[in-house]
Amino acid sequence: MALFGRRNVLVAMLLFAAVAPTFLNAYYLFVANTILIYVLLAIGLNILVGYAGQLAFANAAMFGIGAYGTGLLQVHFGWPFWLAFPLGALIATIVGLAISLPALRLSGLYLALSTLAFAQFTQWVFLNWEPVTFGAGGFKTPPISFTPLPISKTLGLYYLSLILVMVLFALAQNLVRSRIGRAFVAVRDGEIAAESLGVDLLRYKALAFGISGFYAGIAGGLYSAMLNFVSPEGFDLFQMVIHKAMIIVGGLGSIVGSVLGAGTLVFVLEALRKVKGVQEIAFGAILVGFILFMPGGIIGFLKEKVRGWEEPLHRTRASRRPPIAATSESSEVRP
Amino acid sequence: MELLVYLLLSGLTTGSLYALIALGIVVVNKATAVINFAHGELFMFSGFVAWMLHVQMGVPYLPSLLAAVAFGFLLGAATDLIAFRPLKNANIISLVLATIGIAFMLRGTARVIWGGKGDYLPFPPITSPEPIMIGGIMVIPQQLAVLAGSIVIMVAFAAFFRLTRAGKMMQATADNAKAATLAGIRVDRIYMLSFGTGAAIAGAAAALMAPLTLLYPDMGFSFFIKGFAAAVLGGLTSLPGAVLGGISIGIVEALAGGYLHSSFIEVSAFIVIMFVLVVRPTGLLGSTRFRRV
Amino acid sequence: MTEALLSVRGVSVSFGGVKVLDSIDLDVKPGEIRGLIGPNGAGKTTMLNVICGIHPPHQGDVLLDGVSIVGRKPSAIARLGLGRTFQTSQLFRGMTVLENLMTGLHHRTAAGFIAASLNLRRYREEEEAAEEAARQALEFIGMSAFADRPGSALSFGQQRVIEIARTLIGDPKVVLLDEPAVGLSLNRLAEFDTLLRRIRDEKGVTLILIEHVIRLVMDVCDQVTVLSSGRRIAEGTPDAVRNDPGVIEAYLGKELRARHSAS
Repeated sequence: MALFGRRNVLVAMLLFAAVAPTFLNAYYLFVANTILIYVLLAIGLNILVGYAGQLAFANAAMFGIGAYGTGLLQVHFGWPFWLAFPLGALIATIVGLAISLPALRLSGLYLALSTLAFAQFTQWVFLNWEPVTFGAGGFKTPPISFTPLPISKTLGLYYLSLILVMVLFALAQNLVRSRIGRAFVAVRDGEIAAESLGVDLLRYKALAFGISGFYAGIAGGLYSAMLNFVSPEGFDLFQMVIHKAMIIVGGLGSIVGSVLGAGTLVFVLEALRKVKGVQEIAFGAILVGFILFMPGGIIGFLKEKVRGWEEPLHRTRASRRPPIAATSESSEVRP
Repeated sequence: MELLVYLLLSGLTTGSLYALIALGIVVVNKATAVINFAHGELFMFSGFVAWMLHVQMGVPYLPSLLAAVAFGFLLGAATDLIAFRPLKNANIISLVLATIGIAFMLRGTARVIWGGKGDYLPFPPITSPEPIMIGGIMVIPQQLAVLAGSIVIMVAFAAFFRLTRAGKMMQATADNAKAATLAGIRVDRIYMLSFGTGAAIAGAAAALMAPLTLLYPDMGFSFFIKGFAAAVLGGLTSLPGAVLGGISIGIVEALAGGYLHSSFIEVSAFIVIMFVLVVRPTGLLGSTRFRRV
Repeated sequence: MTEALLSVRGVSVSFGGVKVLDSIDLDVKPGEIRGLIGPNGAGKTTMLNVICGIHPPHQGDVLLDGVSIVGRKPSAIARLGLGRTFQTSQLFRGMTVLENLMTGLHHRTAAGFIAASLNLRRYREEEEAAEEAARQALEFIGMSAFADRPGSALSFGQQRVIEIARTLIGDPKVVLLDEPAVGLSLNRLAEFDTLLRRIRDEKGVTLILIEHVIRLVMDVCDQVTVLSSGRRIAEGTPDAVRNDPGVIEAYLGKELRARHSAS
């Protein structure tokens, strides 16, 4: 197994994340938790945009729906977090599924713009439906409690996020390596041919939208618990662009890339906080720079230069892997 | 009754501005089949340039407007060189995000040069701000000036497309890029010309709009959405459609704001976009682009 | 007399007032290789689009194995045993050749997204079987060495062959081929001819192919149907069709037909 191959690096990151709270101060723990939340957002979005090729701009809206759902169920109906959380995610999933229906008729630019309009509409609802959403000022959510476990709120939430990331990462990895993942890529690369092979477009597009809604909804619930506060600010267009930037920087069509992209972008945003004035310029420049000069993202770069980062769309068994001498190119370059 | 006429006139005026923005979007889309997500920021930036010339440097209004148009053209051409030309054959996600990246850079630059969040720059009116009475109806001369200016610009661009060689070449490329290449038209240049022209129209719109409201760096996006809604309503490939769409949205907004609630002004554009794209993607006057298998 | 496997009855299609297909009838027997030829704009691709469900006809019916398939989704029709290749390359560029072929088995496999995410055993077994079948298919066309090549790294000719294999792997009853020989050199044509025959003989698949390479049509097709301006103007063995005056006129125009019959 290659030393710096994907599996080893992921295990190392996981170990680091598991012990991080022992040496990180409160602020950096907050940043780490934020990274975990963004990883979920990026994975869900990558499945929709990178694998299934659906250029949708509604992810931040579904993130918001998850957060608002979780928060409002607690505040308006007094539900405990552990009930409100899965339900908030469910609501976001349902919205994702609902968007997929009109999305079926649209593709490319038109899909991008209509989902963008939908996202703006959602934002407007968050801002203006004051009796329900509390408007621009937002609202506080009751702090999450982990009793009977002897663990503080911050620590508990961090580990909850970490566990969820581990589980949802594994599920996503399995999914994209299966016939479902191949069906997604088929829809992306040749919709008409995919249909001619029996891939039901509505079903698979809906599945992709639903999955991204679910991941965003889970991320939203965690976010609302982390901040103890929900307001329209965190779910606007800038957020959406950050999500997209994460998967571009990490690499479209790669679950691991989503992890790398999320981490990188949170670090970048933190760094940019220091240079207040030029924050937007730098961000825009990074985005354009990656698109022009590293279109495959970090993952594309790793696949080319480092052994052990291939990401097949089927389950390979070690015994079946072709000997390295068979082809002149020793590592695959996946577009 | 007076309220209705007032609202209609007001809607017509803002509508004509939306129409100009929509025209810019359609010009680019017709030629390149792409939407420039930085269009709103090109609009905003040109507006600031006009402000800088007219307010800070004392240049008279009309030359400032022309300078804004010229500057817009240059910005548009630059966008083509940076974001469109190198990515022409890449997937659409990259293209869209590249133009978004440029939007961010422009917005950030405007903030650095002309003010941060919350700084709204006023632009002096180009006519007397006193409302005048025409036939018992209150009219703000500024609105008339904007309306007149918009019409002049629309006519000028229509003439450009119909009568000049460059304009005709743009039409040809929009209709059939392959055939245009065979006819000796440098399609790359035409794309750049389209981006530039689209942005120039936006620059004109900004200079016209500036006396009416305040300038601020974040205004680009909300005007882009409105302009885009107008373009979609009219049909993304139809220039007259863009005008029709813009005026419609302006009037609907004014009426909704006047008779319903001000918060509906914002949302009507979004609803229009979603509704039209799902129900009738070709809009009122557009034509379908066929996909060959 | 054997029953037709694929039957087109009175199909008409109009695009914006122009009649692209006018009351077409077509009957293809099982095991036949049917050629579909005609000048450009005759409606051949539209005919295939109607059969496979991409474009429902305004009038008429299409029957596969006696069952009407008009109005069904293309993916449902595919599951009933109809395959199709396209004029433009539709190879999935983001996958390897092996994965492209495995996708061809999509409608023959059943694991849902839950089974796949949880990596359940029944799903794993299905996946292994699919991989095995894909490797065998590669052997059938002699391209085993290409298994792990990304789809984007194939030459045009190689892409076409893989696309055909991808359609065949799902064991269709009928396959529609839209100009499969485009871009093939003369040497390759002979190979392709053999491949088509093997497909029919060894796999028992019925083929309908649109082709402009007349030589291939004449050599490999059992029957040929000729379309012109949306109408069926001739049908019969390749030889019969080749000498049909109506066909010659459709391709070459009236004047040349006069010259031809004069010589």
